[in-house]
Amino acid sequence: MSGLVAIEQEIDSLLLQPPYGVDPKQRQTSLLGLLKKELAYACEQSPRFRNYVEHWPTDFRTAESISDLPYLPVGVFKANPPLTLTGSDQVKRTLTSSATTGQIPSRVVLDAATARRMAKGVTTIIRDFIGPARRPYLVIDTSQNLASQAEVGARGAAIQALGAFATEVVCCLRSGQDGGLSIDLNTLLACAGKWKHADVLVYGFTYIIWTQLVQPLRREGITLDIPNVHVLHSGGWKRLTEQSVTREAFIGGVASVFGCSADRVVDYYGMVENVGVIYPDCAYGNKHVPAFAEIIVRDPLTLAPVEPGQRGIIQVCSVLPTSFPGFLLLTEDMAEVIDYDGCPCGRRGISFRFAGRVPKAEVRGCGNLGNTRHHQLQEVGVA
Amino acid sequence: MTYRIQAIDSSRDITCAAQRLQQLSREKPLATQLILDIFDQWAAALDDRALRDIPGLTFLRLWLRRGNLEPIVLRELGASALNGGWRDDGRARLRAFPLGVVGHWPAGNVEIQPLLSLTCALLGGNCCLVRVPSRLVAITERVMEKLQKVDSNGSLTERIFMASFNHSRTDLHEAMAKTVDGAMIWGGADAVAQVRGLPFPHWTRVLVFGPRLSAAAMDAETWGDRTDRFSWCRRIARDVWQFDQQACSSPQALFLERGAGCDPDQFVEDLKQAFQEENRHHPRQQIEPALTSAISLARASWLLANDGNSALFPASPDWTILLGTATEMPNPTQGRTLSVLVVDDLLKVISSFDGTLQTLGLGIKDASKEEMLAIAAGRSGVDRIVKLGRMHVFSSPWDGTELIRPMVRFVRHVPSED
Repeated sequence: MSGLVAIEQEIDSLLLQPPYGVDPKQRQTSLLGLLKKELAYACEQSPRFRNYVEHWPTDFRTAESISDLPYLPVGVFKANPPLTLTGSDQVKRTLTSSATTGQIPSRVVLDAATARRMAKGVTTIIRDFIGPARRPYLVIDTSQNLASQAEVGARGAAIQALGAFATEVVCCLRSGQDGGLSIDLNTLLACAGKWKHADVLVYGFTYIIWTQLVQPLRREGITLDIPNVHVLHSGGWKRLTEQSVTREAFIGGVASVFGCSADRVVDYYGMVENVGVIYPDCAYGNKHVPAFAEIIVRDPLTLAPVEPGQRGIIQVCSVLPTSFPGFLLLTEDMAEVIDYDGCPCGRRGISFRFAGRVPKAEVRGCGNLGNTRHHQLQEVGVA
Repeated sequence: MTYRIQAIDSSRDITCAAQRLQQLSREKPLATQLILDIFDQWAAALDDRALRDIPGLTFLRLWLRRGNLEPIVLRELGASALNGGWRDDGRARLRAFPLGVVGHWPAGNVEIQPLLSLTCALLGGNCCLVRVPSRLVAITERVMEKLQKVDSNGSLTERIFMASFNHSRTDLHEAMAKTVDGAMIWGGADAVAQVRGLPFPHWTRVLVFGPRLSAAAMDAETWGDRTDRFSWCRRIARDVWQFDQQACSSPQALFLERGAGCDPDQFVEDLKQAFQEENRHHPRQQIEPALTSAISLARASWLLANDGNSALFPASPDWTILLGTATEMPNPTQGRTLSVLVVDDLLKVISSFDGTLQTLGLGIKDASKEEMLAIAAGRSGVDRIVKLGRMHVFSSPWDGTELIRPMVRFVRHVPSED
């Protein structure tokens, strides 16, 4: 049996476990062993990745904790061509992050097995929050994001990942000729009438739900009256924070538009590089980690894991990807550790709260160049 | 006797302070000898255990000594400047007079920069209006307290007005700009561009010390010599550690010229030891998470870019050595991240610099070779060429320009009865 086949079998068996029922120590042991095998496999596949791992201050083969294993900063996935552990003929899809203007998006490649595990991972997690039943799925976005493409953006990937729960899928936004979005009110109201007593799944990016659904419906004084809805949203709070929209205002607005209780509005944290793992809020406002993943929050000063109550940089760990080295990734996000076990919601392991993006460096001193003289002259056609 | 930097919220406060300083500068000239005396006493007073935590204080003390400043004054203003007299210039006479009020916009990353900047203008007999970046307020107050103590008559302190206000308060920056006869501007590209665009009066003389990078270079005879190698490594570590490698004079790369029998891996092992030692003596107390991210990314990007690249670093972001080959200056990461680049020919590398480089720290055994490299560096835009370990020693000229002379007027007097 080849190394990869054995790894894949172990991953599949982890995916069969209850996602939040595993004792943290037991999880640490099983994940540590599997991650070591995955690192060894990645080193075989990629000399450049092996070079990185070999220069890590500790040997991963003798590591006693997941926090000692070599991790990559997510920024490395902005490289082109993307970092991969598989041949180009095996690549089924490329996921790209939602970079804002001027930024380079991250790109990760998925082979068939990783893509399958990604879908399975998300399904396992969401099932724990909304139950296993299939139901109508209302997408607060356009139907373009449902298309099966070789390169899929973060929005498309998030929308498609929930497809396993759908009996039917309806997208309630349309894009205009200028590329802007607008609500398809007729479709939306028809769905609301049809699904009044049904369990319904709704998903959209946080700022899109607010600007394209909640605000227009409120202006019109429309309530959809679908009380059995679960509204999942992700994508971050930056744009709403800029508009001074608080989390409470957002949840209140969404709940009032759907005519549901506030606990049916669920925010989750996720990123394309951390394929197959998302972190929804529990009823106590905390985020949890499934059996096939781990979160380490690191002190920026020492990069050591922080104590409960402290903030740091989030490192995500997942055993799911085998087509790119995304097992252990230092993100550019911050979180506060609530506890390492014992959340009242009953989910085992670490509980944490997202605390925003890593703030940009403030000091811009005399050594902060921005651009060399040669490049500046090149820009004006002199050099 | 505490010194307080004023938190300013109104442009009127700045205008009032500037009026007072203008009057003082016109009515109360200051003898250079007195300034040098007070500075020398200030340097002595700064030799205080309680101030040792201030980054760069040693450089400030060295700068303030009479033995250091007197030759600079003589060179820039002439021998007669020490006694306030005229000097002959053919049939005419020349004498330096202050511009009046000099505004200072120091950068926020070098703790002693507000002080270095104002001392240059004071030596020209000027009064000073200083905008102290918020991060440096507490440190600057501690250092100014010592000046206040030695300057019991207030001869210098009365000529200084220090203000603190948010960098986004354009109205206050403008108020300051409108009242100054000279301006000394230090900092990164954005900050410099912003201050340069302020509405200075047409007569204001503006001196800009914009963003620069620095590098180090060693020939094989130096870095390959096992007996002296560790002391060179200590010097490099000192240069990297000062100002958390964020100053324009901080080395971001070290170019090692290849030599027969010289092993770069052995060299970086010594360098690692020196970095560890320096880190024990000067551990970081805090770090911006963005810098931690940048350091992690620099390590990974370097090692993933080429499987021939090598690196040494601890699990923490404390320091990083990136070893490989390249012939150009790499993008700086800062945060004690040094790229050690093995090159075939130092002359070729130095000749390719584009004016971005401010300081070149050298460790070269052969004096004639160093002479050749210094000329190449000068031609390629490098403004300071110094021995490794002394890259941050503040001196004139800086960034290729004198520090006192630009803030004075040379008055030419041709006697009427000739």
